[in-house]
Amino acid sequence: MTESLVVIVRGRGVRSRGGEIAPAVLARIYERGLGLLTGQTGAEEALRTLFAPSDKVGIKINAIAGRELTSPPAVTLPFAGLFSRIGIADRNVVIWDRTNRELRAAGYALNADGPGPRILGTDTAGVGYDAEPFVHRNIASRISAVLTDRVTASVSFAILKDHGLAGVTAGMKNYFGAIHNPNKYHDDHCDPFVAELFDAPPVRTRHRLTVLDALVVQCHRGPAFHAAWAAPAESLIFGTDPVAVDAAGWRLVERLRKEKGLPTLAEEGRPPLYLQTAERLGLGRAAEADIRLLEDEV
Amino acid sequence: MDRRDFIRTAAGTGAVLAARPGAFVRDLYAFQETANLSHVEARYYIKLPDREIECQLCPRKCRLGDKERGYCGVRENDGGTYYTLVYGKACARNIDPVEKKPFFHVLPGTAALSIASAGCNVNCKFCQNWEISQVRAEQVTAYDFPPRDVAAAAEANRCPSIAYTYSEPTVFYEYMFDTAVEARRRNIRSLVVTGGLINPEPLEALTKVVDAIKIDLKAFTQAFYKDYVRGDLAPVLEAIKLVARQKIWLEIVYLVIPTLNDEPEEVRKMARWILKEVGPGVPLHFTRFTPMYLIKNLPPTPLSTLRSLRKIALDEGLQYVYTGNIPGDEGENTWCPTCRTLLIRRNGFAVEENAIKGGACPSCRNPVPGIWA
Ligand code: SF4
Repeated sequence: MTESLVVIVRGRGVRSRGGEIAPAVLARIYERGLGLLTGQTGAEEALRTLFAPSDKVGIKINAIAGRELTSPPAVTLPFAGLFSRIGIADRNVVIWDRTNRELRAAGYALNADGPGPRILGTDTAGVGYDAEPFVHRNIASRISAVLTDRVTASVSFAILKDHGLAGVTAGMKNYFGAIHNPNKYHDDHCDPFVAELFDAPPVRTRHRLTVLDALVVQCHRGPAFHAAWAAPAESLIFGTDPVAVDAAGWRLVERLRKEKGLPTLAEEGRPPLYLQTAERLGLGRAAEADIRLLEDEV
Repeated sequence: MDRRDFIRTAAGTGAVLAARPGAFVRDLYAFQETANLSHVEARYYIKLPDREIECQLCPRKCRLGDKERGYCGVRENDGGTYYTLVYGKACARNIDPVEKKPFFHVLPGTAALSIASAGCNVNCKFCQNWEISQVRAEQVTAYDFPPRDVAAAAEANRCPSIAYTYSEPTVFYEYMFDTAVEARRRNIRSLVVTGGLINPEPLEALTKVVDAIKIDLKAFTQAFYKDYVRGDLAPVLEAIKLVARQKIWLEIVYLVIPTLNDEPEEVRKMARWILKEVGPGVPLHFTRFTPMYLIKNLPPTPLSTLRSLRKIALDEGLQYVYTGNIPGDEGENTWCPTCRTLLIRRNGFAVEENAIKGGACPSCRNPVPGIWA
């Protein structure tokens, strides 16, 4: 079996200390990252290999931690804008998370039906969760109708960070924000739940791409923001193998922890075991030897 | 809210008339919708370094970083302080017959003002109220109904008791506790309907302000608790023992699910344990399962199973053993264990006859344990 490709692109100066995003650097990250991931010359060609013009694209972000630690509109809107270049209308692109409250707190202007990409929470009037729980292995959850009704192709645009319960939260765990009861899956370091939720057909069949926001990585005491352990990695990580990209994210978290003199997650008794479970379920590759990591800089 | 509003909910319909988004149920109340969350500091938790906390309310002892929420979905760490999101926020409130809880030895034939918030600290695959128990606080429509108003509403509607029920009152502990204090000031009793997964310290404090607790003993094996409840049996048994030592009333309910917890020998063991640890006078209810939530592939409990389990418990020496959810069954009635006089005749949630006089059998004067006035 060939290795799974994961691409990390660093953009020096992409984010200022005050959190301002340099649009030109960010654009170059997208071009380079998506291009390298798919073997294409740039973002547009890359997206064409992953999405069809008929797709309705959901960009699932993770807004739990407010402005300080959420992928901001200045990062996600330019990404959403790329889809118009491959013939997907803005109205068929939605940036979403579980609640409007959290999106607003993270700096998003909600847009349920205006011009531009849609921006909405599952709690938007008329959206909500599916009425019946979807049962899959140990998962029994009502799934956001954003995903099940409005999206044919999903991007997990997840902020990469340490997580007190799961070890690391990245692309797969981001889908905890797509169900009504994520709190029920915190036992045993969220294992096997992260993997099993991703394996559930409503998620697995829609997921096309993971983009990990590692512009600032909370490498300890996540998921909330703690300035002391927020490392400006200035990077985005791209992958189509959902396990490999999360595994690469985890290794970046470990590297940053080491730089700060912190013990490994295993030493703290909370390595992200769900990655192995996901591999066992056939969702992707977790072992370092099975992942080809391409690191670049713009 | 007046009595008419409540009466419209028709006590005895058997349904939880919860206020939830329209997909589930008609909202029969003209309540003021608030759809907001409370931000009231929780009780029974400890602060840890780096804005972490550990909740000490129930045996899960959720340890959470800032912004994280407990397993129950209604408590949240905000900046290192732990908050209940459901204080004074009822997502269900009804007037029910007290028999519906079920309490069979507490003020028979009276109505209990019954309230719940969202959330639960377990995830029973057979939950009858999962649409409010297995959701986070913001996923139900919650109404402002602070403790003082609950007590006042009970009084205004001539309910001699308030029941904390439907979901799991442990997770709305502060709301329940303060309501019970308010209720006691008005001579209204407080009845708790719980799965019993609550730590000893908060439970003991609770027993000082409430009058009766009904504990769901969901099985007598850890394996069942692990697979079908996502909790542990041992703390429930400890809770039963603790309540039994207090000066409040206790009843126990055992929902019988075909093939999962209906093994006669397990039930016999349970009956012996109850006899030893609690005594013969505690009412034990064997109630009928109806396919629901995540267990839809099993049939309703056969009546013969309920009756034979009841007989086992009676044979082991328990004196007040009932069948439940079988309207009209003989097992719904209360009989004097000494002279076999029929004391209370029930039909479903209705009390058709109550012969108990001064808390005793009218024939042999044997005291009948319970709260009768
Ligand atoms: S009450 Fe809720 S937050 Fe507290 S330990 Fe239990 S499940 Fe966790």
